[in-house]
Amino acid sequence: MSATEFTPATQLELSRFVAENAQTHRQTLCPVGGRTALHFGFSAPPPGVHIVMSELNRIVDYPARDMTITVEAGLRIDALQATLAKERQRLPVDIAQAERATLGGALATNTSGPRRFGHSTFRDYVIGLSAVDADGRLFKAGGRVVKNVAGYDLCKLLVGSRGTLAVVTQVTLKLRPLPETSAQLWLTFDWFRTIEDRLAGLLTSQTRPVAIEVLNPAAAALIATSARCDLPANAPVLCIGVEGSKRDVEWQLQMLSQELTTGGLQESRQIRDHDADRIWEALTEFQTCADDPLTFEANLRPSQCMAFAERATELGVAVQVHAGNGQVIGQLLEESATIDQTVSILNELGTVARSAGGNLVVLHCDSTWKSRMPMCGTPEPSWVLMKQLKSKLDPQGLLNPGRFVDAAP
Amino acid sequence: MTTAVAEPVTADARSQKLLDRLRSIVGEAGLLVEREELLVYECDGYTVEKKCPDVVVFPANTDQVVAIVRACNEFDVPFVPRGAGTSLAGGCLPIGGGVMISLTRMKRILEVNLRDRYAIVEPGLVNVHLTQHLKGTGYHYAPDPSSQGACTIGGNFATNSGGPHTLKYGVTVNHVLGAEVVLPDGSVAMLGGTVEDVPGYDLAGLFVGSEGTLGICTKIIVRLTRDPAAYRTMLGVFETVGDATRAISEIIGAGIVPAALEMMDQGIVSAVEQAFHFGFPLDAGAVLLIEVDGLEVAVDEEAQRIIALCNQSGAREVRQANTPKERMLLWKCRKQAFGAIGRLSPSYCTQDGVVPRTKLPEILEFITACGQRHGLRIVNVFHAGDGNIHPILLFDERDADQVRRVLLASDEILGKCIDMGGSVTGEHGIGVEKISFMDKLFAPEDLIVMKSIRDCFNPTGRCSPGKMLPTSAGCGNEHLPKVKPGRRAAM
Repeated sequence: MSATEFTPATQLELSRFVAENAQTHRQTLCPVGGRTALHFGFSAPPPGVHIVMSELNRIVDYPARDMTITVEAGLRIDALQATLAKERQRLPVDIAQAERATLGGALATNTSGPRRFGHSTFRDYVIGLSAVDADGRLFKAGGRVVKNVAGYDLCKLLVGSRGTLAVVTQVTLKLRPLPETSAQLWLTFDWFRTIEDRLAGLLTSQTRPVAIEVLNPAAAALIATSARCDLPANAPVLCIGVEGSKRDVEWQLQMLSQELTTGGLQESRQIRDHDADRIWEALTEFQTCADDPLTFEANLRPSQCMAFAERATELGVAVQVHAGNGQVIGQLLEESATIDQTVSILNELGTVARSAGGNLVVLHCDSTWKSRMPMCGTPEPSWVLMKQLKSKLDPQGLLNPGRFVDAAP
Repeated sequence: MTTAVAEPVTADARSQKLLDRLRSIVGEAGLLVEREELLVYECDGYTVEKKCPDVVVFPANTDQVVAIVRACNEFDVPFVPRGAGTSLAGGCLPIGGGVMISLTRMKRILEVNLRDRYAIVEPGLVNVHLTQHLKGTGYHYAPDPSSQGACTIGGNFATNSGGPHTLKYGVTVNHVLGAEVVLPDGSVAMLGGTVEDVPGYDLAGLFVGSEGTLGICTKIIVRLTRDPAAYRTMLGVFETVGDATRAISEIIGAGIVPAALEMMDQGIVSAVEQAFHFGFPLDAGAVLLIEVDGLEVAVDEEAQRIIALCNQSGAREVRQANTPKERMLLWKCRKQAFGAIGRLSPSYCTQDGVVPRTKLPEILEFITACGQRHGLRIVNVFHAGDGNIHPILLFDERDADQVRRVLLASDEILGKCIDMGGSVTGEHGIGVEKISFMDKLFAPEDLIVMKSIRDCFNPTGRCSPGKMLPTSAGCGNEHLPKVKPGRRAAM
């Protein structure tokens, strides 16, 4: 069942390989970046060929003054960000395991983190790409300019498509300036319901945070420890992040402190400089603490998150909420959790999510558990369309089959 | 891969049986068939090519859209959705005639949820009506095309519309969470939703900007954006267009992302001044309309940096709008600039090219030279911060030779945009107008993939035939021959 590997040195080499495969061997192909998300989806990567993207890692064009960059998809995220930082720019998407993850992989999984509240996700930064389809056709979409409506926006289609429609080989990104500094306000409250009141109030805050995170005590302790910061974690935490010039950031911290100093507040800390950098990192990495038996993500309307977090906390889950956007990342903590207990917890939380118009997907779990877990959430009517699209673009089912909605029952 | 879809279907859309069926769906008041009533619908803001639909229907809800689409399939006639008809690229041209589905009666705001920052609207809702509805809540709908007083959100969805403030806030697709669509076979699908990250492919993202070729949206879930706490709106006055474009380059290059950064050259400024009497200097080569927004504590610093960069680039002066009223007037001048062009010329043709923003000086020099070469006057008003140019070619459409030169010059300018690594449309769409550029902008392989996507959703090609993609992938020669450019309302 082991897979062979193919490591293309150029896009054309990959194109030829895939074309030949489509006509002759018809082996299944699994694009592999930094191997940080191979556990996603219904099943493990299928036997067949792993297309290792590590050598497609060149910076093709970086016209910094246009604030765009074109790079090959195998470029590691840390290398990308280091290049951008030299020009005081960045891709403002928080990507976990940046020292391993590649741009192509991050894009294919549509990964994000705490600052999606202020900066949104990949779909708003990918302005052009090249990819190889299942027939080996090297095609492009979008372009290298920041505004462009010519043709179908295949960038949107391929972001988050998990390598099931095409192998992304090259990406053009829109960039943003690096802020001068950033900081967080870390507040503990008596209970989630109090935090919900504060969240509703933040909607008309005079400040403009880039992240609004809520952590239950278990998650808060993990994040504080991981960031090596001595922060209170004995109650639910509201952690608000701001970025900008020093003056701007200080003003926002003051203003937020004033706005949030109301009933139910227990402790309040301001986090700056290197501590703030480490908190960003810990908040981003939380979703990948893979020692635990299972990590899930629920997508809800923001107003539903606190009730969900409260119930998940009662069920012994460590919970991080991107409260401005509605994602709840949960980790089942007990090393001894059995598959039956896990199924029961996820059933309950999945029902809560769906009744609030949302969904729940499993990001990571023991591979032997997958068949009983909602790896891609619950089937939606639109999945029929997605399957049609998959079979239109990959009629032989060669690209990463069996792992995403295209493979759902 | 299947081929040859989207050929105009020629079945008789005026058959009594079909008309009776449509009448039974939308009622007598929801249908137009008389020739003189249909004339309004023979074109949109792109007036070069005209074609009357055989019938226009005005559905009131999704069920009626479904029934209409099913009837069109049953009777084998083409159909095309239409919003307010402000498209500048012929997006609503009913190629092959058939049934035009006008969505203007579906204009309700179905839900506004401020806590969760979204609204659900029907496609016929006029863009600015949503923002007016939200006034006082601290939130707004960010995409603001200059035609926002007339254009519909459904039309914005179909063309992925932009506007001046998209520089900082993004275009329509960046604000669409989901949509209910009626697919070309008459089935209804919900794409995306009120929550972010719905599992599966981002079909809502794919449908935005698909120019009605994948289906008809009947509900749109849009993200609401927090109002900025403070604005600073400036007017930079420059001796030459070259100085102004260098200032743009400096501002973007310095890592500043203004909320808007618009340029108007002397020709436009004089027309606008005559129309609105703002007090623009008539002898300036170009003016920049620059807006920064954000926190009250931050905007002044950013404004000062911009003023310094303008001065370094040779600005004669930089004025600030001191009151909200002054700001509104400045924006009115900008957004209604096209209305003032009538003072310059009987007809005009607006192009919609994009270049990397640092190439603006180069493309503007090219445009000037191109105008001189063809003996045409070309004026410019455009979204400078995005590199999205709108050269306006002035002419008299009664003069056939001028018309010919306008078409040549337009093609040269758009060709140059492609050569410079740009695009032939930043926000107006391909429609029918630019269909012949698709195979210049994209390789045959790119078009094959796009075509297979269209075939997946629209296999018979009855929905919006002859739009966006050249009929035979890679050939690009199937578009109607351009006869004359029109006098166009614009962005």
